[in-house]
Amino acid sequence: MDRFFLWLGMGLFALVLLCLYRASFGPGVLNRIAGICAIGTKTLVILLLMGFIYNRVEMFIDISMVYALLNFIGTITVAKYLEMKGEV
Amino acid sequence: MTRATDDVIIRTVARVLIPFIQLFALYVIMHGHHSPGGGFQGGVILGASFILYLLTHGLEEAKARMSEAKAGLFSSFGLLIYSGIGLLCLIMGSNYLDYGKLSGILKVIPAQARSLGILGVEIGVGIAVMAVMFSIFFDITTGGDIPKDEEDLGEGDG
Repeated sequence: MDRFFLWLGMGLFALVLLCLYRASFGPGVLNRIAGICAIGTKTLVILLLMGFIYNRVEMFIDISMVYALLNFIGTITVAKYLEMKGEV
Repeated sequence: MTRATDDVIIRTVARVLIPFIQLFALYVIMHGHHSPGGGFQGGVILGASFILYLLTHGLEEAKARMSEAKAGLFSSFGLLIYSGIGLLCLIMGSNYLDYGKLSGILKVIPAQARSLGILGVEIGVGIAVMAVMFSIFFDITTGGDIPKDEEDLGEGDG
């Protein structure tokens, strides 16, 4: 089962690299925001998979919850910035 | 200048989510010596809840809840708790922040006194970090120009 989680995490890591490409070179601000949000959710799942691999899920759930909260606030902040700038 | 948003979804989500964020921050602070987290991390989450309130409800409503002067007071208060516990250990005849000697005051065995001492220090650090995070974000949001009604800042509070 550990091997399954490991390969799952590596697949998600490859997807994170694709999102990172979109976040750094993507045309326009909206593509970058979408890429960053996708990276945030994928990192959350990778953290939980790491918790399963190390047999310490109760510890990694705390970290992933904090990550989800801060990711949400970051998205709100960027959206607020775009609203102030009037670029959308 | 951050003004209040008129989007009902954002306001409702923030109103529902902020108490849970603060509860989770208190859990991270109180549970810091058994799991990842502690004073700084819990303080950052607590500050993030106030930042979310400022972002969604605007600067004016956020100033009614947590003004710049209050943030300064809270940061000083947290530092006072931290250094006060450290100095109390020093007065009791031990090293700075060596909580073992606090067992005389707390009427518990030294191992429990160490646990309670680090808990008190983490509460102080959490309060200070929360206030400083909010203060930094407040300064960035206002861009340094303080509004007219805040010009006599901190005179009444010392």
